[in-house]
Amino acid sequence: MNLFLKGGEVASENAAPVRADVWLENGVIKSVGADLPEPEGARVIDVSGKVVMPGMFDAHVHFRDPGQEHKEDILTGSEAAINGGITGVVMMPNTSPAIDSATVVRRVLDTASKCRIPVLTSGCITVGRAGHEMAGIDGMRKAGVLMLTDDGDAVPDAALLKRAMEYGSEMNMFFASHCEEPQLAGPRALNEGAVSYRLGVQGTPALAEEISMSRDLALAHATGAELHIQHVSTEIGMEQIKWWRDERGAKVSGEVSPHHLMFTDEDIGDYDTHYKMNPPLRTAADNAALLQGLKDGHFRIIATDHAPHTEFEKSQAFVDAPNGITGLETALVSLFDRFVDKGEFGWDLLVKRYSAEPRRMMRLEVAEVAEGKGVDLIVFDPKGETTFTKEFMKSKSSNTPFYNQTLKGSIDFVALGEEVLLER
Amino acid sequence: MSIALDPSAISTALGRLADQLFDAAGNAPIDLVGIRSRGDEVAERVALLLREKGAQVRLGVLDISLYRDDFEHLRENPKLQGSEIDFPIDDSHVILVDDVIFTGRTIRAALDALFDYGRPSSIALAVLIDRGHRELPIEPRYVGVKMETERLDHVIVRLAKTDGEDSVELTRKS
Amino acid sequence: MARKDLLDIVSLDRGEIVDLLDQAIPFKDLFTRSVKKVPALKGKTVLMLFYEPSTRTLSSFEVAAKRLSADVTVFDVPRSSVTKGESVRDTIDTLQAMRADYIVVRHRLSGQPAAIARQTGASVINAGDGAHAHPTQALLDAFTLREVYPELERKRVLIMGDILHSRVARSTSTIFKKLGVEVAFLGPGSLVPKQGPQDIPRFTNYEEAMKWKPDAVYLLRVQKERMSAPFFPSDREYHNLYGITDERLRQLAGEGTYIMHPGPINRGVELCDAVLDYERCLISQQVENGIAARMAVLYGLKPQTP
Repeated sequence: MNLFLKGGEVASENAAPVRADVWLENGVIKSVGADLPEPEGARVIDVSGKVVMPGMFDAHVHFRDPGQEHKEDILTGSEAAINGGITGVVMMPNTSPAIDSATVVRRVLDTASKCRIPVLTSGCITVGRAGHEMAGIDGMRKAGVLMLTDDGDAVPDAALLKRAMEYGSEMNMFFASHCEEPQLAGPRALNEGAVSYRLGVQGTPALAEEISMSRDLALAHATGAELHIQHVSTEIGMEQIKWWRDERGAKVSGEVSPHHLMFTDEDIGDYDTHYKMNPPLRTAADNAALLQGLKDGHFRIIATDHAPHTEFEKSQAFVDAPNGITGLETALVSLFDRFVDKGEFGWDLLVKRYSAEPRRMMRLEVAEVAEGKGVDLIVFDPKGETTFTKEFMKSKSSNTPFYNQTLKGSIDFVALGEEVLLER
Repeated sequence: MSIALDPSAISTALGRLADQLFDAAGNAPIDLVGIRSRGDEVAERVALLLREKGAQVRLGVLDISLYRDDFEHLRENPKLQGSEIDFPIDDSHVILVDDVIFTGRTIRAALDALFDYGRPSSIALAVLIDRGHRELPIEPRYVGVKMETERLDHVIVRLAKTDGEDSVELTRKS
Repeated sequence: MARKDLLDIVSLDRGEIVDLLDQAIPFKDLFTRSVKKVPALKGKTVLMLFYEPSTRTLSSFEVAAKRLSADVTVFDVPRSSVTKGESVRDTIDTLQAMRADYIVVRHRLSGQPAAIARQTGASVINAGDGAHAHPTQALLDAFTLREVYPELERKRVLIMGDILHSRVARSTSTIFKKLGVEVAFLGPGSLVPKQGPQDIPRFTNYEEAMKWKPDAVYLLRVQKERMSAPFFPSDREYHNLYGITDERLRQLAGEGTYIMHPGPINRGVELCDAVLDYERCLISQQVENGIAARMAVLYGLKPQTP
């Protein structure tokens, strides 16, 4: 590998992008600077007008493997990630069987080792995610798990979660919560509000998330556990995380998904299941609050909750169709199209929240475009365009609201270590 | 496009119809059922003339929209205005009245509609204009005026109450 | 009209609604003829796809279709709850093969008729989907009210009962508002959602609602089969607080207020027996007008079958 990325701007988490050329040799970034001389024998890639940044990292994806490989598997999921400029992911354990023991962890990590990017996994808090007994926490830790979550559901039994937190936090593992009070969840179809009234479908109130979050945050504070709240969709929920962290010193953090920043329940329109996920899309006021919260630094990370489902399943009646949309391939482009391009926030925020902090949360080394660092970078063309057709996407599933739409921006180059993973 | 009949020609035709009906009725009451649209106005105006002559006339209106044979080919179904026949059809001698008879299909629909109202003793047909080109074996007994037309010609009838003026236009198709 | 489907009232404009109501009049006139049939839909196939049981709506549609000389088939669908994996698409493929011209759908899930309409050229009529819409009920309700109040503008209708689970409340309130009628909701706090349309006054107390002076009260049935758990303590408490008791009926009769109900009624819950004998109770007119309204709908839609 001897590549010279010439004429671009380098983005980083703490500053606006700066004009710089980047020289990559044998998996290492040899130099970064403005107007560097072209190195001897290097292949020159003209990236003028484009942005060079560290690879993104998505700490919340569903690869359906094992159990539902017709929707996605670890290999296709990782290729979808690369296609979206993402060079590392953390899988969720709600597979079939669930990832709740060392055996299953080893099985998935074995498959993951064949992928072109690092694919990590979380593990269940309870056996089978059933909420009754603690899963094999230490066994999973030894097999490489750091994050414990029953994602897909909350842990209904507060006493069980308390014991798990007391146990697991002593081992340097951290917890992640899907916050949803089951008694208030209803059919888990959409937000309770004017839209659920109009469509005549029982909605899930924001309250269901707020109550559950309040409980889990208090538990984390009381037990001293590190807790990360997944896919926050409500303003009050976000405020609660902030309060426990800032006022009470709890070791808590939150993540927000691109779709909860961009879409509201109004987008469901005429029962369009491409806008159906859990937690559901809420109101424009929630979007605005979450966006401001992201800008103010209240969310530690952005994560997509990439949730592939087949076309057949998503074409069912609204209440019956499974929750979730894919996100790996559309996230970066849509975040650029909707926010960076419109001046809402800059590349620095994206690099911090979708690349650096997720890696820190997973105790990994942060990727940087800096001299001496290992190659883990992507090139983004703000003047390019991406049309999300089935042919373009590498995921087995195409359940995204951006299906067949053209957005501004494109990912033109992905390199990790000595490999160029993608070049367009 | 030409004016085939002016208002006075139409008046004359209406008068001729009234005369024929009056002569045929003798002293018996005359039951007229006009077919919407415009057949109803013809019936109304003929009824007026007949009453002036001293005849006893009962007047009804028939909406045949629900009996047409060409629904398939229409982009919207015709707007219903409803029928109004407030004398019993059973055992009556009905005179169906229309403005123009052409292929005869409208009259066939009117016959079906009338039979769903009851069982008349007889049905005769009176038309203001007979423009020829029948496609069914249906003939009017009373005709106001005959017009020579080609099959593809358009005959546009306007009547005072329905359209604001009395005129019949003939548009030739080459 | 020239629409293919009738899925809800929300998508109709006022002109279309008035046209449909006007078109129902000649159909109602046919009922006094000895031959109540007309051949307008002769040779057309009307399929009844009722996933939820309903004798009255089903038979009303059947009579309407048959009076238009259409061929009616009741499609035998599984009455138990639809199992996951049974897709709307599978049912549609079967229906396509039967070449139906009109499909009348009732389903417990909101949005199903719309999903079916998207996938077939047949004209789809929503006979009630979940808590979402019941457009033909709304049409017959508007028709009935218009018979007693030809000038509907600024009349007041109080819709009372289980608003939350009621597709009738949604469709009927919408049609009345489009026709210039003022609508208010009355019911227990747990059954009158705060996130409904903000321009409909919301009452949870009967006496307060009566101060609003409705010209008609529209009673809804408590939809126990749609409730996952009780929304109020007991039927008796409901009747005392929100039902038309004998005493309340006397007061309504004194004001000349009309009473409507989409049926089926729960005696002793939303109304007392005496309501049915009240001369301004419009329930049987609603049933009769249902056939005329449904005939107007079938007549006014245009299937796009090749």
